[in-house]
Amino acid sequence: MKPRIFNQLFFWPWGILSVLCLAVLAVFVVYPIGVITLSSLRTPDGGFSLSGFVTVLTDSKYLQAIFNTLLLSALVTTCTVLLGVPFAYIVARFDFPFKNWVAILPIATIIIPEVIVGQSWLLLLGNNGILTNALRSIGIDSPSFYGWGGLIFSMTLIYYTYIYLGMLAALRGFDGQLEEASMSLGATPLMTQFKVMLPTVAPAILVNALVVFTLVVGNFALSSMLGAQIPLLSVMTYSMFISEMGSSPVLQSSLSVVSIAMVAVVLFVQKKWVESKMVQMTQGRAPAPKRVRSWQSIMFTIFVVMVVAMSLMPLIAVFIGALTEARGPVMHWGQWSTRSLERALSFAPEPIINSIIFAACATCIGTVFAVLVSYLVVKKKSPISGWLDYAVVMPLTISGTVLGIGLVQTFNSGYLVLTGTAFIMVLCYVVRRLPFGVRNASSVLYNIPSSIEEASISLGVTPFKTFIKIILPVMKSSIFSAAILMWVTSISELSASIVVYTGGLETMPVAIFRQVDTGRLGLASAYGSVLVTLILVPVVFAVKFLKINLFSVK
Amino acid sequence: MKFAKKWSAVVAIALASMTAYAQNVVLYSSNNPEAIANAAALLKKKNPKASVQNVTGGTGTLMKRIQAESANPGGDIFWSGGVGTLAAFTPLMEPYISPEAKAIGAQFQGPKNSFIATNVHVMVLMVNDKQLKGLAAPKTWSDLMKPEWKGKFVITDPARSGTAFIQVYGLLKQFGREGLEKVARNAVVVQSSGAVFKSVAAGEYPAGITIESSAYEFVAGGQKEIKLIYPTEGTYLGAEGMFIVKGAKNMPLAKEFYDVLLSKQAQETLLIENFRRPTRSDIAVSKLTSLPDLNSLKLFPLNLQVATEEYEQVIALWNLAIAKR
Repeated sequence: MKPRIFNQLFFWPWGILSVLCLAVLAVFVVYPIGVITLSSLRTPDGGFSLSGFVTVLTDSKYLQAIFNTLLLSALVTTCTVLLGVPFAYIVARFDFPFKNWVAILPIATIIIPEVIVGQSWLLLLGNNGILTNALRSIGIDSPSFYGWGGLIFSMTLIYYTYIYLGMLAALRGFDGQLEEASMSLGATPLMTQFKVMLPTVAPAILVNALVVFTLVVGNFALSSMLGAQIPLLSVMTYSMFISEMGSSPVLQSSLSVVSIAMVAVVLFVQKKWVESKMVQMTQGRAPAPKRVRSWQSIMFTIFVVMVVAMSLMPLIAVFIGALTEARGPVMHWGQWSTRSLERALSFAPEPIINSIIFAACATCIGTVFAVLVSYLVVKKKSPISGWLDYAVVMPLTISGTVLGIGLVQTFNSGYLVLTGTAFIMVLCYVVRRLPFGVRNASSVLYNIPSSIEEASISLGVTPFKTFIKIILPVMKSSIFSAAILMWVTSISELSASIVVYTGGLETMPVAIFRQVDTGRLGLASAYGSVLVTLILVPVVFAVKFLKINLFSVK
Repeated sequence: MKFAKKWSAVVAIALASMTAYAQNVVLYSSNNPEAIANAAALLKKKNPKASVQNVTGGTGTLMKRIQAESANPGGDIFWSGGVGTLAAFTPLMEPYISPEAKAIGAQFQGPKNSFIATNVHVMVLMVNDKQLKGLAAPKTWSDLMKPEWKGKFVITDPARSGTAFIQVYGLLKQFGREGLEKVARNAVVVQSSGAVFKSVAAGEYPAGITIESSAYEFVAGGQKEIKLIYPTEGTYLGAEGMFIVKGAKNMPLAKEFYDVLLSKQAQETLLIENFRRPTRSDIAVSKLTSLPDLNSLKLFPLNLQVATEEYEQVIALWNLAIAKR
């Protein structure tokens, strides 16, 4: 008799599919991380040494970058908490005019590509920006947007959404009776908020704060557009990569490992320590939002409208920029022209075509793979599904820059040469989005009782057909939302693309980044507006016509 | 599954339409997107089937990339980098004698037909009138050494940019260590050559040391307060060249592109639209543009090959001058 484990692993289709998925993840996720780690420890002649890490941890240049990255992450995280928490509290607990505007917020901030946010704030507040020029014309010299101020400002306005959404969910699950009990025991409302509510929602805030922290560590687009004078880890790793191409990869690998380690520590803390403190409310009954009047309502309205307007500003600015007359590097504000758009669409459409093809491929492959893996992990437990589960979350620790470097280093030579092909671009997008896709699909699968599947199989339908006919239709809307999010993130991906792209593979975010770098804000805005359109159309379609709640499953 | 089918059809069509362009040439370029677009259009005009794919980056970055790829070249042609830098990389180049090379002076040709200069950069002072605020516009290099210019002008770190290296080298040769130290004492040093003209145009600083073609883009773009000043004590030239990558995969098309970039039409187009001064001797700059002719400018001659040989010392002297202030 064959051993049981053998039967489980080589049983068609699920056993074999599990093995195949694990093999794919091993080659494209685990192996590249291993290659980076190994090459950080290797000397040019093939021996092992820690010299790379010694350099990184003793040279003031690298220490400065590590310190700046940590400081920036801490500052941005603090600012997002300061903005996101009160914002969520006001939205959850009070009713006031224009409150429903907040519904657009997650869409506005999460799906606008960072490269566009950076570029738009430069259009407005950069050295030659609309607002900067307007202020200058009335004699006010605004401080430079490049540097700490601009970085913290623009990052806070993107990432506060994570805190806001997390806090909002926690508040909605919070049992209002606890508050009532506290107050009937004589506590003041303020004391109740600090002693009863805050401790129960704090873990939710902390979990999302840690997410923000890791996002800032890995951020490339804004860091390099606005932080040219401030050494930061992600930008430094990137510039080391482009200037060290082919020569000793020890330093760039060491820097990569440092950034992986930073994120891994944070994720570990989140998993082991914070998530265990999460409070489960069995009888959550959030109090109804209070209708507020007079000055308070005006204040809340102004606050919310301002946050929404600031978050949407990049979207407006990019279209203004695209339709403004640009002659070379000079923007003629107030003179309208479609020349930049015409140039982007008819003379240089390659980035647009590339982006659409790559993102479409990544969406198809990524969605299918994520659904398959989560099905295997949730429904078809086998001895290796635990490993699958781990391999799938590994990309969370790798920033786009580091992933790009890893893939280029790994598939540069040998049996499988991918560097310089379109496949490596698609691969980057699939790998980066995988943890989120799997998490979304899994949460739906957990809610599908296994009994309906078993009923189908006991009626004589093959397992595979059952999957197609029973499971997929139930998951339809979540697959759709996963696909749209996959599309949105792939088409706006910059940090890995800029590392792996070569001649003919330029995507829109890369084009935007380059145009901003050479000071061509007109053409950058033209590509930006095309990019935003390609993102918004499917999102609006899904939300309006398919009634899919894109951001409910987190 | 219907949508998957539809999408795969879209992907297939798109892929097919991409491969329909059979003749590709991969251009490694440090030029700005407009100049590249113009060059690609000129090639397309001559050979409608040709299509240019470009990878952009700084000259140093691309040289290292070409070196790393030498066993399996990814690029076919490089355009354009400082001739001083190019001279250090001749083993990476495929020698080629273009029929157009006759119109280009011997001083612009690399050893053994390895590379050839396509355009000449003139170092200028870029001034933003609005930001002078009572300060007299500088007329020449020594003006920048005066105490009132402290912190008022920008220069790129010469270790970061080939053109900035020529500027610093020129200042060193013309004014000696003492002069260079005086400039260093007053200068604001930035890390990319783009930061100089962008920040002067944006009014962050009243002046900057940069190249004519970059600064002139703002004048041509209609920003009235931007002025170009050609230092009366004599300014420096930096020729930029191109070469065919050794073992290029698309050799015939690379050569065709090379010929096109040297042609009179290309050099005139790039002069008129991108303000690149031609290396051809048969083009009159002041007739075609509002830029002055080279022979009307006072020049301080530099030997760029020697400059490259002295690279390390010059950078060290500059760093010393910066450390001293």
